[in-house]
Amino acid sequence: MALNDLVGHGRVHRRFYTDPAVFEEERRRIFRRVWLWLGHESQVRSPGDFFTARMAGERVIVARHTDGTLRAFHNRCMHRGAEVCAAASGNARSFVCPYHAWTYRTDGSLASVPLDQGYGAAFKEARARELGLEPVARLSSYQGFIFGSLSPSGEDLETYLGPDVRAAFDNFVQRAPDGTIELAGGRTVQRYRGNWKLQIENSIDLLHPRILHRSAIGAADRVDHGGGRPSIEWDIVKANGLTLREWDGLRIAALERGHCWMGGFLTKAIDAEREDPVQKRYREAMVARHGEQRAGEILSFNRHNTIVYPNLFVNSRLAQIRVLQPVSVDCTEQHGYIFRLGGAPEGMFESSVRMVNTNNSPASIVTSDDHEIFERIQESLATGDAEWVDWSRGLERESNPEGTNELPMRNQHRAWAAYMGA
Amino acid sequence: MKAAGLERWHAVQQFLFLEARLLDERRFQEWLALYAPDAEYWVPYAWGQESPRDHVSLFYETVQLLRMRVDRLENEHAPLDSPPARVNHYLTNVAAEEDGKGEVAARAYLLFVEHRRGESRWFAGRSTWSLRDKDGSFQIAAKRVDLLDADRDGGHLRFAIPF
Repeated sequence: MALNDLVGHGRVHRRFYTDPAVFEEERRRIFRRVWLWLGHESQVRSPGDFFTARMAGERVIVARHTDGTLRAFHNRCMHRGAEVCAAASGNARSFVCPYHAWTYRTDGSLASVPLDQGYGAAFKEARARELGLEPVARLSSYQGFIFGSLSPSGEDLETYLGPDVRAAFDNFVQRAPDGTIELAGGRTVQRYRGNWKLQIENSIDLLHPRILHRSAIGAADRVDHGGGRPSIEWDIVKANGLTLREWDGLRIAALERGHCWMGGFLTKAIDAEREDPVQKRYREAMVARHGEQRAGEILSFNRHNTIVYPNLFVNSRLAQIRVLQPVSVDCTEQHGYIFRLGGAPEGMFESSVRMVNTNNSPASIVTSDDHEIFERIQESLATGDAEWVDWSRGLERESNPEGTNELPMRNQHRAWAAYMGA
Repeated sequence: MKAAGLERWHAVQQFLFLEARLLDERRFQEWLALYAPDAEYWVPYAWGQESPRDHVSLFYETVQLLRMRVDRLENEHAPLDSPPARVNHYLTNVAAEEDGKGEVAARAYLLFVEHRRGESRWFAGRSTWSLRDKDGSFQIAAKRVDLLDADRDGGHLRFAIPF
């Protein structure tokens, strides 16, 4: 069976999720080819600022070089292969390998090796050119969000993202009253023992929340607020309790290259009409900056997740980004990041922190159930005679999809097949 | 801060052991009743984290959120907890100091062992409590648990039962 035959008409073969050979090919044909999100320019403002990141299983360093340009290179010494930089972030004049002190500049080029008279002329000739840290083939930013690609050729970042995804990043920055955002507050890391595609499908699966998350929704229903204002955490959990018909009424969109988005549903938690003094001050700051009409347009950008295939979730309303790091065919990490909106009132960022805790901590009472299910799927699909997994809901209504239509997942599968067949 | 006397230290230790036992025996409502209405339960993400308000946490919960957490384990069929996890909270190196303002600062080392769905795992950490005197025993005003591997690079599989 050819790789792209694993995607059928309204169904996928179980090997799509379980075959280690398929996973290796995905690394090569998808993750090593596309643009992958690495971080944000607020992490590398000054020369020497750097952070480490992962892309397609590779460990890389992203640094602001002394000439002000952004550089990215593999975090692997060209001498013996040791990790050159162990820190997650910081400021460095150079990167020095802890093993034999090969020293690299902030553009990745080799600056010095100890006792270099021990090497002949050929080495000295080669080292300037070839022995720098291996560069990430391409690096590009959109609205300050830094992406890298391990492929030296291919479409540019803006084309890859497309207009609908770019709109999500545009809105992300526009929601900051002073027009600047800063990645801050650490990150959450949830690990699950299942295939990465289970999460990217789940995030646009609007039929599951009311059903799978019913124990958390039920617990939220039983909360006595005692006349007080519900907490933002409660709102987040309770929001999953829309009726199936309400979920079916949400807007979804399937985009080119497997991307997609879904309409917003956390209205009570974060809209200005919520009787929340922080939200009121925030709206005032936005109106002061943009005027009533423009502020209203920015704040009414009503999307929940915008999903950038294969591994990124952008949520401008929550000032949050999640990224999947596939570890193996049956193990995935989901990293959650939050942004501080420049000019937003005190308390806004704390709300973002609490929302990411609620949904993206390993202790989340919501997503822990998703991850539990992913693991059970992964175990079940490994064996048995049933070879296919069904994705046919709404197959005949793709031109006008209702919220629970599985069009966005089929759109992911079609993008997958296109990458894997090419 | 002044070290608690022997009897006081013993009473604190017995109270901490009670909290551990109520969690281990899944007596969640009795466990919640040990907490003051304004208590905070905090498991930081970063080692030495100074605030839960400007940095993510593993748990940062009011009593209301803790109640949602355990209600769902007790009253519904949460996929996460079926079959239910079995856990032991081991506490050692217990110390107690009077803060001079009516609260006791207690601390202990924690070893948390969990068994679920055919697998066991464990976490080590340092727990600290602010305790208030109440009805001849104590009430928890705040609890913080610093796991040695809270910020583990590869992340954690999900947690169900509080530390």
